[in-house]
Amino acid sequence: MTICGFRYFASLGVTTVCLILSATAWAQDSLPQLDLDLPLRLDFSGSWEKDFGRSDNWEDELSRTLRVRQESAARQQSSPGSSRIRSAPPISVGNINLPRSRGRGANMVDLARLAEYISRQNTIEIVQTRDEIRIERSGEAALVCGVEYELQRTFSSEHGVEVCGWEGQQLVFQIMLPDDLIIMHRFTVGSNQQVLNLLTSVYSKGGDPFNLRLAFNKYQAPRDEFNCIQTLSRGQVCNQSGADLSDILNN
Amino acid sequence: MLPIRNSAALRDLILPMLLLLSACAQNVPEPPPRPLNLVGDVVLNQATQIPAEEFLLDIGVQIFSTQSKEAEEYEIGDWVFDEIIQKETQFLPHLLKNTLVASNQWGAVRVIPESDPSLDLIVLGEIMQSDGRTVELEIRAIDSSGREWLNQVYADQSDQEGYPESTRFTLDNTFDAASFVDPFQDIYDRIANDLVSVRSQLGLQALVELNLVTDLLYARDLSPDSFANALTENEDGLLTIVNLPSVDDPMMARVADMKYRHHLFIDTVDEYYQTLYDDIQPAYVLWRRYSIDQISEVETSRQEANQSDYGGSSGFLALSQRYDRFKWSKIFEREFSDLAAGFNNELAPAFLELNSQVHGLTGTMEQQYREWRGILRRLFELENGEVAAGATE
Repeated sequence: MTICGFRYFASLGVTTVCLILSATAWAQDSLPQLDLDLPLRLDFSGSWEKDFGRSDNWEDELSRTLRVRQESAARQQSSPGSSRIRSAPPISVGNINLPRSRGRGANMVDLARLAEYISRQNTIEIVQTRDEIRIERSGEAALVCGVEYELQRTFSSEHGVEVCGWEGQQLVFQIMLPDDLIIMHRFTVGSNQQVLNLLTSVYSKGGDPFNLRLAFNKYQAPRDEFNCIQTLSRGQVCNQSGADLSDILNN
Repeated sequence: MLPIRNSAALRDLILPMLLLLSACAQNVPEPPPRPLNLVGDVVLNQATQIPAEEFLLDIGVQIFSTQSKEAEEYEIGDWVFDEIIQKETQFLPHLLKNTLVASNQWGAVRVIPESDPSLDLIVLGEIMQSDGRTVELEIRAIDSSGREWLNQVYADQSDQEGYPESTRFTLDNTFDAASFVDPFQDIYDRIANDLVSVRSQLGLQALVELNLVTDLLYARDLSPDSFANALTENEDGLLTIVNLPSVDDPMMARVADMKYRHHLFIDTVDEYYQTLYDDIQPAYVLWRRYSIDQISEVETSRQEANQSDYGGSSGFLALSQRYDRFKWSKIFEREFSDLAAGFNNELAPAFLELNSQVHGLTGTMEQQYREWRGILRRLFELENGEVAAGATE
């Protein structure tokens, strides 16, 4: 009886060890391969809503910018030897084949209004994978960038060129429009991944930019009830989350 | 100076410098569009009577290949369009095959996954360009002796009229596959006519020899040792017959038997490609239609951009218009990418079906085909071994 009991427990132990080993092996097999050439980026993913308290009000920011410029101009007048430093966007790829015209750049009020015009979204959805980050804003085309070190051209047409790249852990998109109009979006995320900051700068003909800072807090968006897949002839085909869509496609 | 130990940090520093350098490349004129060798309007040369047996060469239209792009040519999301071209490599050969069959000039014409030594003539193609407006193919045709029949680039263009109203899918407007003529049919008609033209220049004797070379080439593929000296290369690099086995040679009879079995297999493979073609044709035509719509839209947009007189205006209205034009051109392109992804999603089950067709064989259709040829070789060796053993006893 004792021997039988020992055998029973021994075989149970062996089985358990085998199960653990095979489970470990399975877990190792199912792990995604880590591409060490790809840099690790902070996690921007999630649903973000605008924090109006911590975001710039564009009119206040415009007033502040104009006041700073007036003070700067006054200082220059009082000390004529000092030269004014012209600003330029950090990502400068030029206006590739985009129309240009002579003349002065847009004034600060119009740049501020444009910055406000393109930053009206109150929520942002960000999906991030090991390879790319996709920023969805309502009424706008998604901003998509890879995680690579290199500068990436993400879109180009006769109406403008968009590039993206990383400066440290900041994700930068720059849109070059005709007539040397440049829009730059700079995304940063807090180390606790609960706060997202977006700095939108608008430049015209190499002049001083208008900067608008927006802050976003992470929120828990309700889960999609439907699982959808895009098809060509049937548009979006959806079913309830979790079910296999391949059956629908086969039919 | 601080040593930079972290390569990531180094690259992060290099990035802005590269960006500044790339500013020097501004206002580079776009290269002029590549001239196309358009085939024009072509009438297919159809035989009214079945040609003599020697003229009825067996043709294999191999799955097409594509031009590889440099990494820097890619924009984010371009892989979707690469996937479509990959699907076209299996779809377009079928259009050529159907045209060759319709010409009534040839023996069996099949779409094959790989080059096949049992066929008289192999047609290879590379897709250089394919969208709703333009198809450009580089076509090579090589017979079993190694003689090149064709090596030429063919191109054809279509317009909106090439797509009948039935290619716009609505609930009450279904695609009429039977009466649909591919907008680029001229390209396939021209290739078929060119093949007939080369065949007529060859003459009867060359075609008779070509049939024999094919038989021996297939025999050599089955049993390299037994038929090692059957063929040789002449000074032009073409295979010619050295030893012609007698008509009642038992080994050749077994080769013929294997060839028959092999052709049954590649007939089945061809049927799978036919099924694939039937399955995906409606979605493919719809995709082409979207594609030509998109090309027309981009051209209109380009003209608008060229005609746009921003006039140096820098008021808010002008600035917001510039931004909106950019935004909508980007949204339009993204929607087209989504449609392309939708096209790939819709076709995925058909391709999955193709690659799981041959029972008992595994892998893609190309792998299954290779596996089958290996099985036939082993079978031939086995049968030959038994015959040889029987003769010894």
